[in-house]
Amino acid sequence: MIGGLFIYNHKGEVLISRVYRDDIGRNAVDAFRVNVIHARQQVRSPVTNIARTSFFHVKRSNIWLAAVTKQNVNAAMVFEFLYKMCDVMAAYFGKISEENIKNNFVLIYELLDEILDFGYPQNSETGALKTFITQQGIKSQHQTKEEQSQITSQVTGQIGWRREGIKYRRNELFLDVLESVNLLMSPQGQVLSAHVSGRVVMKSYLSGMPECKFGMNDKIVIEKQGKGTADETSKRRPSAPAHSGKQSIAIDDCTFHQCVRLSKFDSERSISFIPPDGEFELMRYRTTKDIILPFRVIPLVREVGRTKLEVKVVIKSNFKPSLLAQKIEVRIPTPLNTSGVQVICMKGKAKYKASENAIVWKIKRMAGMKESQISAEIELLPTNDKKKWARPPISMNFEVPFAPSGLKVRYLKVFEPKLNYSDHDVIKWVRYIGRSGIYETRC
Amino acid sequence: MPYLGSEDVVKELKKALSNPHIQADRLRYRNVIQRVIRHMTQGLDMSGVFMEMVKASATVDIVQKKLVYLYMCTYAPLKPDLALLAINTLCKDCSDPNPMVRGLALRSMCSLRMPGVQEYIQQPILNGLRDKASYVRRVAVLGCAKMHNLHGDSEVDGALVNELYSLLRDQDPIVVVNCLRSLEEILKQEGGVVINKPIAHHLLNRMPKLDQWGQAEVLNFLLRYQPRSEEELFDILNLLDGFLKSSSPGVVMGATKLFLILANKFPHVQTDVLVQVKGPLLAACSSESRELCFAALCHVRQILHSLPGHFSSHYKKFFCSYSEPHYIKLQKVEVLCELVNDENVQQVLEELRGYCTDVSADFAQAAIFAIGGIARTYTDQCVQILTELLGLRQEHITTVVVQTFRDLVWLCPQCTEAVCQALPGCEENIQDSEGKQALIWLLGVHGERIPNAPYVLEDFVENVKSETFPAVKMELLTALLRLFLSRPAECQDMLGRLLHYCIEEEKDMAVRDRGLFYYRLLLAGIDEVKRVLCSPKSDPSLGLLEDQAERPVNSWASDFNTLAPVYGKARWATISKYQGAERRGPELPNTASFATSGPLIPEESKETGQELPDSGALTLVPNCQLTAEYFEKTWFSLKVAHQQVFPWRGAVHPDTLQMALQVVNMQTIAMSRAGAHPWKAYLSAQDDTGCLFLTELLLEPENSEMQISVKQNEPRTETLNSFISVLETVLGTIGDIKS
Repeated sequence: MIGGLFIYNHKGEVLISRVYRDDIGRNAVDAFRVNVIHARQQVRSPVTNIARTSFFHVKRSNIWLAAVTKQNVNAAMVFEFLYKMCDVMAAYFGKISEENIKNNFVLIYELLDEILDFGYPQNSETGALKTFITQQGIKSQHQTKEEQSQITSQVTGQIGWRREGIKYRRNELFLDVLESVNLLMSPQGQVLSAHVSGRVVMKSYLSGMPECKFGMNDKIVIEKQGKGTADETSKRRPSAPAHSGKQSIAIDDCTFHQCVRLSKFDSERSISFIPPDGEFELMRYRTTKDIILPFRVIPLVREVGRTKLEVKVVIKSNFKPSLLAQKIEVRIPTPLNTSGVQVICMKGKAKYKASENAIVWKIKRMAGMKESQISAEIELLPTNDKKKWARPPISMNFEVPFAPSGLKVRYLKVFEPKLNYSDHDVIKWVRYIGRSGIYETRC
Repeated sequence: MPYLGSEDVVKELKKALSNPHIQADRLRYRNVIQRVIRHMTQGLDMSGVFMEMVKASATVDIVQKKLVYLYMCTYAPLKPDLALLAINTLCKDCSDPNPMVRGLALRSMCSLRMPGVQEYIQQPILNGLRDKASYVRRVAVLGCAKMHNLHGDSEVDGALVNELYSLLRDQDPIVVVNCLRSLEEILKQEGGVVINKPIAHHLLNRMPKLDQWGQAEVLNFLLRYQPRSEEELFDILNLLDGFLKSSSPGVVMGATKLFLILANKFPHVQTDVLVQVKGPLLAACSSESRELCFAALCHVRQILHSLPGHFSSHYKKFFCSYSEPHYIKLQKVEVLCELVNDENVQQVLEELRGYCTDVSADFAQAAIFAIGGIARTYTDQCVQILTELLGLRQEHITTVVVQTFRDLVWLCPQCTEAVCQALPGCEENIQDSEGKQALIWLLGVHGERIPNAPYVLEDFVENVKSETFPAVKMELLTALLRLFLSRPAECQDMLGRLLHYCIEEEKDMAVRDRGLFYYRLLLAGIDEVKRVLCSPKSDPSLGLLEDQAERPVNSWASDFNTLAPVYGKARWATISKYQGAERRGPELPNTASFATSGPLIPEESKETGQELPDSGALTLVPNCQLTAEYFEKTWFSLKVAHQQVFPWRGAVHPDTLQMALQVVNMQTIAMSRAGAHPWKAYLSAQDDTGCLFLTELLLEPENSEMQISVKQNEPRTETLNSFISVLETVLGTIGDIKS
């Protein structure tokens, strides 16, 4: 249980403070500021104990959110709650920034009132919360009958995440496969670790209580079906997969939104659910095998004497030539005693940023199977510091229009038995976005 | 803490709130109220406009209502009489046709923390429990717990408890979970809510319908249930199997704990469960949510204590990435150190070696200590890496490597030869106390194998006058005497000089005494010295003991998914020791009447006042403000009632200390700034009988001791003892936080 929730700006000024339990005093607000935000050394742990009170904090840009408790609570749960709160706030007013928080502080107090009661998490689904939050301030007498009945159906409904009687003129759904690919590569080009963490986010605008079924190229499912057809057609070649054209992927582990019937997934590995209205995260998964690494970074660093470094970095795009990667940014770290840098690059723009100790090379677009190169001469100031330069890794950011894990959506079927629209009437959109997570190559 | 200059603001707002023009304009009125809340958030004392705010609560504007209720919940304890005026509006709202308004009013009414409110809220709560809207029921159920909290320790209302038990069958999942929470608080004295077979089975069936918070909570409550038969046990486990794969890491951990505890008699089931959650845990460890990742890593370490091989094949997952925050890197290094085996040792060491040259000195040192830990099993490889590190000639690296060597030689004598070869030359790169001590110790104990040992020690003897750390001088005395036994010719002269210095010139008592002790020992004859000083040079059995620290799963299962693994076992022990004693709300003056009067004094101190069981109980009054002059006068007029020393390492952070003292209602009159030598602080406190406690804290960093002197204006030993134990607790906690 959470005793209090505080939000600070980067200077440590309190923007929001809400205390839920007697045992948390006003002085707790100051204790956190003094001990954590104003502390000289870097943050030691996201959980801090001050005078036997535990402070759990997360940071979003330069905003600190802290949950405070005196009880022995589950750390993972508290952090999850803080994340959830960030999500809810973001759903209401976008980015969590000082300005947004100041402008929406009434709304935030309202939210805090609904999400937590006496320190216990209550309703935290953005969709369901919308009924209770009166951002514009609706007069209670003028509230329409319809809205009132909505509240009752919402609060008595068996399915906590969807209210009844939703109607849309156009039944539409959007599926986003969002992946972040993480890589740690040795200077010799050996993959030290790579994984993809992905999310399938669904935005549904569907009437009634639709039953959905989602299918993807999960290895286990494909093999199962492959066996089925193989049994029917020819038993002689059971090894030949029926879907030889399609590749399947091995998912290390996956988790689903509460609405997915887990029993069905366990028994037949089919994903069926009644979706919440609006945007939600259908599933979250992780793969580590056969990852398509969209870019390969080949660094070459040569120290010429004590006052000069020569750096050459080649990046190679490794995907279909018809696809375009966007927002490519390569960050090449430079030593602290750099005095000047000359950069030559074939494509894009490169700049030495002294404040960040790095050369930042930006390319707007790059097609697959291409190669680009940057070379830089770094002048160093002579120092008597014996410390060797630690050579931080070269990191990369990008966005590609495919899923680096190889995941493909095979179908998403919608059934609504009570209303008269069928699977064919639903307009469906699927989009794949692969982004870089921590994508580093050591040099 | 009220800031200066709040009077003007209050005056202005008061005027605005009572301005009829503003009151007529809904938006402007709301804006003024918003300003009040904003000032309240910043810590200004806004209780001055309470009356006006009460008036503002009679409105149809829900936003305004919400804001006013928030205000009232904050200041009601300060203005209980005025708050009663608002009850009327609240009661009316409790029967509004709109369930949202009903819920809001009931929730706010229950949150008013002031005496006398109980009689007004009882009926609305009972009505709320039977409300047809589950939104109101949710609020009412928690309201029961709030009401009980207000009552303090009064007896439990049986009818209410029965009603809550029956609401466990409510349709709405949140009502069910709230019932559990509420019952738990109400029945705290009797050991919490009872989970019998029907309730347990009911909860198990409702699990899939609950949201993640509810699931985690119910899993926690189910820990209490003891299945009757093995069959039932396995039925439950099968039912809950899916939750080990939940999308919420919190639920996964909760389910894991439940499995571990329910299956405490079936080790194979426990192992199986840990294998099952490997995936989710690893996913959490590599997730972008760093704080969650940190929590998961702490639990991975916990599991590794019992099953060292558990994550060995996934060692690459624990390689640090450059941009990760410090705390994750440190955890990962610890994990790496623990999952090493024959197959991955090469790669792990290679990786750790990379970290040793990290720009962050802290992280580099952690990596070196980790290599030292691995060296207990894979000695040769590690010693080679450590030796190479010495070649970098970096101060912060060398000192840690030498410390690692010292520990290693003690545990694994087979590496002595290699260490002795690596040592020459190190002395140039060590400046800090710990590193010097380690080096001197090594030179003393293994000096006969290091050719230039006497000359290195001679340098230290030459510079002993400018040496700042007494511990180094002590170590130097012992080491030189040891070396004298094995290489008398080279050492005799400088030993004489060192003893002379220590006895004649040294100002530190401990060092001087040690010098005198060795001098007298030498007078007793060389054989006697040998008998006393030549102890074994290593103790491999200690290492074996440490390796066997593989603890059974059951030893930590009950700590899993709590704060214990996050803080680490040792720190948690000190934190939780006093957790029970911390039930007072130290802020909010005037709340004393219903703040649970739990003992502020830890258990052990009670023994001192045993003749009069309760006279030792001490309540310090908040806001006892003495002027510095008055303090000074009183201080000089009184005699010291109690004096003691308290172990203390390093410097003091005055802000932290002041903050902590305030929590227990001790005021700081004056305090030296951080880092002053000697460091002093004067504190004052007053208990509810008017007895004054004046305290002086004196810290001499060299002795790593804090001297506490307490004066009291009425000679009463019991309260004095309690006071001192409270003070000790605070100092102890602050000391722990720093170290």
